[in-house]
This record gives sequence, structure tokens and C-alpha cells, in this order.
Amino acid sequence: MKRYAKYLLKGSWLLVMSVVSFLFAYPFVYSVLGSLMLKSEFGNMGTLFPIPEHATLQNYAFVFSIDGGFAPLLNSLQRAAWYTLVTVAMAVLCGYVLARYDFRGKKFFLIAIVAAQVVPSVLTIIPSYILVSRIPFMGGNDWLGRGGHGLINNKLMLFLPLGWGSLLWVFLFSQSMKSFPKAIEEAAEIDGCGFWRIVTWVVLRLQGPIVAVIAINTALSNWNDWLTPFLYINNVADSTLTAWLATLTSNLQQFGDKDYPKVFALATVAVIPPFLIFLFFQKYIIQGIASAGVKG
Amino acid sequence: MTATVNKVRGERRRPSARRRREVRTAYLVLLPFFLYIAIWNLVPLLFGLYLGFTEYNALSSTPKWIGLANFKTFFSVPEYGALMWRQIWMGLLALAMNTVISFALALALNVSSKVKGLFRTAIYVPNVSAVSATTAVFVALLNPLADQGLNRILTSLGGAAVTWNYSAFWMTFWIVTYFVWQRVGPAAIIWLGGLQAIDPSLYEAARVDGANFWQQVRYITLPGLKFIAMYILLTGIIGAMQMFDVVMFISKGNPFGQTDVLMYRIYRDGFINFNLGMAGAESLALGLVTVVFALGYLWLQRRNEDE
Repeated sequence: MKRYAKYLLKGSWLLVMSVVSFLFAYPFVYSVLGSLMLKSEFGNMGTLFPIPEHATLQNYAFVFSIDGGFAPLLNSLQRAAWYTLVTVAMAVLCGYVLARYDFRGKKFFLIAIVAAQVVPSVLTIIPSYILVSRIPFMGGNDWLGRGGHGLINNKLMLFLPLGWGSLLWVFLFSQSMKSFPKAIEEAAEIDGCGFWRIVTWVVLRLQGPIVAVIAINTALSNWNDWLTPFLYINNVADSTLTAWLATLTSNLQQFGDKDYPKVFALATVAVIPPFLIFLFFQKYIIQGIASAGVKG
Repeated sequence: MTATVNKVRGERRRPSARRRREVRTAYLVLLPFFLYIAIWNLVPLLFGLYLGFTEYNALSSTPKWIGLANFKTFFSVPEYGALMWRQIWMGLLALAMNTVISFALALALNVSSKVKGLFRTAIYVPNVSAVSATTAVFVALLNPLADQGLNRILTSLGGAAVTWNYSAFWMTFWIVTYFVWQRVGPAAIIWLGGLQAIDPSLYEAARVDGANFWQQVRYITLPGLKFIAMYILLTGIIGAMQMFDVVMFISKGNPFGQTDVLMYRIYRDGFINFNLGMAGAESLALGLVTVVFALGYLWLQRRNEDE
């Protein structure tokens, strides 16, 4: 009798969790199905499972076409790769010296890192935009930053800003150095390694897992950050995939002809890389939340 | 043996040359990064503190100092108070739902099963997907026509079609639903970590003493998760206080501004109406409220570490 109760419990757990998982996955299923048809077919259908009668890859052809989504897709990839590189370099180098070296003003840097986490982005979002439009000698500005539009609508804005949220990873890396045996670095020093060789050859290699946590979480959050390019860049070819999707999605609210399938195809392509990263590296993503927490 | 010798030798060399080299390296590494970040963040922060006290109506004009006038407007026009209040309660509602549902999911996932990883992936993937990429589905499903999207179920069940975007209740409902769908994953994982950190022998001892399931939850699980709960709530509220993307994509603040929030208004005042001084004042007001929450969080975290 007790065994039956156990099976019943296990069975109902499976059932409930399957339903829950289905509800979570449903928007993706809908999006993928919808992306496989033409605007006219989707518009007339309206079902909850838009299974295409005349399946077409035309929308995906648009996503990867030169006049379509190719440029933003490439920009998204470059942007995520660039910020991953910068953040990992910053976290490893700064984290290492903060953990190992003793110097005056160290406490100042540590306090600055913590203080930066408290400042909400709302306080800098508008003034940043104004200041970027006023950068001297850029975009037709004179030396006082007047007359032009600065770096607004300039593709450089995909790569230049560095938020102070990224300092969290410096802190995380310096914490991880606490459990790293000093003897290894000392041995490398005896062998004649200087600071750069110790960090790049010894520490970076042996600290692989924590570097993976930083790299994967940074790549994901930058790939998904639609706001910065959305605010600073109007030109689709200089923008990113997720920023372009933000424009398209907010236009869906307006009256007129809506091309849902095209949006769904772009969205599917924007979701696939993070999805694959999650499938293969979820260990590091989960470790990142557990240790850093704030990112999410 | 060699390690001790090295250590002794290292310590003898330390005082001057080595120490000076370390200080130099540290500053050479830290200063460029920190200065660069200060340029992109600290300078705008300081400029933002000034901006709220100015009248500044187009990017091409110059800000004009007008003292507290923007703040007087903010506190005397009831609309701003309503927007701030809605930002807080809508954020709190979304956060409360997220906290409760993520806890339930964590309890459900705290078992040993081969398919657990599959379920975990399903609830987590929305969080690694861009908000701008996943909201379009919700917009499509909330089509007001009777034979489209969710209305199709309602009408086929014999109900009346709902004009979703004319109803403040339903728009709020879907904003909160989207928020939970998108953010429940990490919260569930954090809860799960907390659940697994509780010493299993406590439950065994309780069972020996005859405690039932609910008593175990009440007296062992919940007290053991106190700080995790604080953590989820406080980091969550900082995010909820800046939330405007979901509102912008799903309801645009409609119907008639009844789901509008202060952060969305700041975005519109700044980037669409170019009422930059007022946007600055609104930012300071919202920022101040958020910082209070954030400091509360840090204080709790410190207390947690001391224990």
C-alpha cells in the first residue's frame, strides 16, 4: 500500500512539473512555429498552436540577409565578445592585485566596488545620454561639445561604455583567489616569472572555472542588453539584434500592418545562442548566481 | 622543505624593492580600469545630481539653474506621486509573486530524479532570453479580436472575448505574469541552494520527535532560509524599482496610463519629450528610494556575514 502511495506521489509530481515546464516553454514553441509562416497565413490563423500549412524559411532568409538582420546579428556577436574579453581581463587583473598585493589605498578600491553596486542605473541613464551627445570634437561638436550630436548614433557606442556593475566580477575574482594556493605563484616566481606571466600563465589557467563563470555571465547579459544600443543608436545596421527587436516589439502595439512572423524569426535567432550556452554551461551560470547573486 | 626556504627568503627581500614593485603594479593595473569606469559612470552620476535642478528642454540648448522648481512640480502634481506609487506596488506585487512561485518550484525541484534537469532548464531559459525577444509572443496572444490568441480559448469555452488592452486589471496581470515567467528561474535556483544547505539531520531529529511535514517546514526550513529570503526580496526590489521594459513592451502604460510607472515616464521625458531637467528630477526621486532599499540590503548582508 505504501509503495503505491509512493508511485502516486511520483506520478503526480511528474505530471505537475510537466505542465509547469510546458507553460514555461510555450512562448518559445509559439514563437518558433509562428516564425515558419508568412504574415498573411499567421494573421488569418490566430490559433494557440500556429502550425504552418505552408511552412517557409523566408523569414529566416530575411534574418540572415545583408539588408535584413545580418549586420545587427554580427554587431551583437562582436559586442558580446568584446565585453566578455574586457570584463574577464579587468576581473582577473584587478582581482589578482586586490587579493595578493598590499598597498595604500586598497581599501578605497574595495569600497568603490561595493558602493558602485548600490547606485541604481536610473541615476545615470539620462545624464549619460546628454554627456555622450556633448563629447567634444565628435559628431560635429566643437571643443565645448556644442553644435553636433556627439557619439549618438555612432557605432562606437556599442563598445565604449563600461558599466560599474561589471566591478562585481573583480570582487568575485579576488574572493576566489583566497582559496588559491600561494605556493604555486611563489614557485613560478622562483622560476623567473614576472607579474604578467604569473597572471596569464599560472593564475588564468588554474582559475578556469571562475573565469568561465565571469565570461559566460558577461556574454549572456551583454547579448541580452537591448537598452544601451536601443537608446543610443537609431540606425538598424549599426545596432544589435535585441535592440532592433525592442523597436519592432514596441511598434507591435501600434495600429497597422504587423509582421509577427518576421519578429518571431528574429527573436528565435536572438534566443538560440543563450539557449545553447545554457544547455552546455548551466553549471557556470548557476554558480554565478549563487556567488554573485545580484546578476540575474 | 623548499617552500619554507623560499618563504623565508621572500620575506627577507620584501621590505623595500619588492614592496615598491607591487605597489607600482597594483596602481598600474587598477587605475586605468577604475578611471575609465569613473568617466562612464561617476561623471554622469554627478552631472545627474545637477541636472534635476535645471530647466533643460532640448539637447542643443544649455541647462538653466532653476533651484527646486522641478521637485516642487514633482511633489505637487499628483500624477508623479501616482507613478512612483505604482512603480512601488506593481514592483512589490511582481516580486511577491516571483518569491512565492520560485519557492514552490524550488521545493518541487528539491528531489532526486533523472528528469529534474529538464524541468530546471524549462523554468530557467526565459531568464537567459532577452526581454525584447520574448515579449512579442505575449503581445500576439493578447490580441483583442475574438478569434485570435487567448480569446480563442475563452470564446470556444463559451465566454466573452476580452479586450485585454482596455483593462487595467488584465494589463497588470500580464505584466506581472511576464515578470514572473522571466525572472523565476534564478530565484528558484537560489532557494534550492538554500534548501540543500540545511542540515538533513535536523529533519531526522524532528521526525523522531513526531513533527509532521508542515511543522518541519515551519520550524526548520523557513528559519534556515531567512537570509536567502531577505536576499531575494531586496535584490528583487532594486530590479523592480527600475522595471519599465515589461511595461513598455506589453502595455505601453495603457489603458490611459493606468499601468504606467515612473521609470517609463523618466524614459519618455528624457528620450522622447526631451524634458531633460524634469527627467533628472524624477530620476533623483526614484534613485533615492531605490538606494534606501539597496542600503537596507547591504546592511543585512553585512549582518549575515558577521554571524
